[in-house]
Amino acid sequence: MKRIKCVLWLGIIISILISNLIIISASELTAEEIIKKRDDNEYFDLVRIEAEMTIVNGGRKIIKTMIALSDKKNSLVEFTNPQDRGTKFLKREDDLWMFFPDAEEIIKISGHMLNQGMMGSDFSYQDIMESDKLTDLYDFKIVGEEEIDGRVCYVLEGIAREGVKVSYYRRLSWIDQERFIGLKEELYAPSGKLLKVTTAIEIREFEGRWIPIESVMENKLRGNTYTGFKIIQIEFNPKIPEGTFSLQNLR
Amino acid sequence: MFIFKLGLKNLTRQKRRNILIIFVIAFAFFGYLMMDSLMNGMEEMSFDNIKNYDTGNIQIVNPAYWEDREDLPLENLINLNQEIIEIIQETEGVLGVSPELRFKANLNNGIDETAVIGLGISFEQYNQVFATKNYIVEGSMFTSGELKAVIGVSLADLMDLKVDDYITLLVRTKDDTFNTIDVEISGLVRAPNPMINNGIVFVPLELAQQALNVDNGVSLLALKTIPGEEDAIIKRLKSSFQNKNFNLKPYSWKESASSVIALSAAKKGGIGTVLLVVLLIGMLGIINNVILSALERTEEIGMMKALGMRGWEIVFVFMIEATGIGILGGLAGCLLGYIGVSWLVKYGFSIGYISGGDASGYGIPILDRIYGIWNYPSFTFLFILGIIIAVLSSILPSYWAAKKDPVKAIYHR
Repeated sequence: MKRIKCVLWLGIIISILISNLIIISASELTAEEIIKKRDDNEYFDLVRIEAEMTIVNGGRKIIKTMIALSDKKNSLVEFTNPQDRGTKFLKREDDLWMFFPDAEEIIKISGHMLNQGMMGSDFSYQDIMESDKLTDLYDFKIVGEEEIDGRVCYVLEGIAREGVKVSYYRRLSWIDQERFIGLKEELYAPSGKLLKVTTAIEIREFEGRWIPIESVMENKLRGNTYTGFKIIQIEFNPKIPEGTFSLQNLR
Repeated sequence: MFIFKLGLKNLTRQKRRNILIIFVIAFAFFGYLMMDSLMNGMEEMSFDNIKNYDTGNIQIVNPAYWEDREDLPLENLINLNQEIIEIIQETEGVLGVSPELRFKANLNNGIDETAVIGLGISFEQYNQVFATKNYIVEGSMFTSGELKAVIGVSLADLMDLKVDDYITLLVRTKDDTFNTIDVEISGLVRAPNPMINNGIVFVPLELAQQALNVDNGVSLLALKTIPGEEDAIIKRLKSSFQNKNFNLKPYSWKESASSVIALSAAKKGGIGTVLLVVLLIGMLGIINNVILSALERTEEIGMMKALGMRGWEIVFVFMIEATGIGILGGLAGCLLGYIGVSWLVKYGFSIGYISGGDASGYGIPILDRIYGIWNYPSFTFLFILGIIIAVLSSILPSYWAAKKDPVKAIYHR
């Protein structure tokens, strides 16, 4: 009888341990691992995107269309809507150039110009310049769990690493626990002021990856303004001709 | 003496024509004097506005900062300490020192935003150097530690802001991170230098330093000095900095205002051209007058020559007449100039038709009116030059008249 009791207790202890282990392994993803999983979804090595940008400012609504080619370090964006047709942006590593067909001139965007909204949108040039992986720039920690549109999310707080140059000192990210996709992100200044909020509107699966097809960025310093970004078509690992990311190709 | 009297008498013979030429010369002189007064006034006002509202008499900066100063970098700043301030204050001729932190910012009113220059100042020290406080038209300046700002009236109009409104300045810290400075507008300024009114936001120095994460850094130290002694003070400061091994260099306001000075040099070229036109008008008037007089008096010249008058005496008669016209034209011109310049000095010339009275778009830091200044040497110079030109331009046509054969001259009809 004693022996049976011992075996029973042992069984109970083992089953408790095993079940705890299962729970721990599921919930004990570190903040860095969560961000990495998100990065795996949202960052592309080689991609071609056709997209639409909707800029809403007060009662005004402007739609701009574009084609973007991107590899790990470089990007080329060409606007295709009639008003901006031929306007191109080239990002090469840490430099950004712009080409206006009317002026037929290549302009390097630097210094204070990087703070301005790209083509009048709420995305600053600096926003599109940041291509480093977030885990290299921020120290993340999990600060909570919240639901967004019925989906349970990790809430992660990232604080800029000492000595690293980043545009936003603090960011709060809501990451879908199941699909590891950012559903919402808030960007803060060191003063504590909320600067921008990005919200994913529509998420779709492409070739096994979850991608935010439509998102909205709000500049919280300005009222009545937001910029929507919608991916119309996406192609992974397209053939990008040599010299695509060159200044000569910008003209 | 007879020749002299004859020359003077001739001056009164063709009254209408001579008066007309005198008036032409007078108006040409008047135009020149007005332009000279206005241009010099503009130069003086521009320089004063730069010194009194922008640069001070001398700016002390890190030499590496000076190269990139137009970009308002947050690198190569001066690490401000009491020792630096004391050394500068104790330098002979220095009347005030104002530390400034200049930075780029986007001013945000909650709806729109615009690019501005932020100026972190310590108000008490700023007042020792600059006269901006005299032009606060609404509200007041902030004091140290307050979360307040002063902006120009033009900027306030543009962004639809008034005193007690809150604004946000979006800035980039030394590490390129976006940060904000949230302040309440404590005052509106309308300084004579439009650049102050159009795009500058004054905030307390400590607040700017904290937001930009530059510790005790300042972009420059602006100095007020005894006027005209800048070069001597710069020498003294250089020697002090060298002794203390400070990596600092003083620069005269002229080096900060090189574009305005270049404009001033171009202005001198413009005045020279006007002077040339004025002299040409005088010269043509005199030549024309002498030729007409000689043609009218051909018989008279022949008669005088027949009576034994020598060629140089006839030339002299015409020269006296021309000189008289030159003197009268010059006097009338100077008198008109005196009246005109008095008006310009007192009431100024309105530039309201230029972008609402703001000439800064043309590189001239002047608002509303340009006041003339008295330039007495110009009056003397123009008067004497006018007479010399009158005399010189009368020689050739007089010589032509004097060369006439007396017989042919008498019977020239």
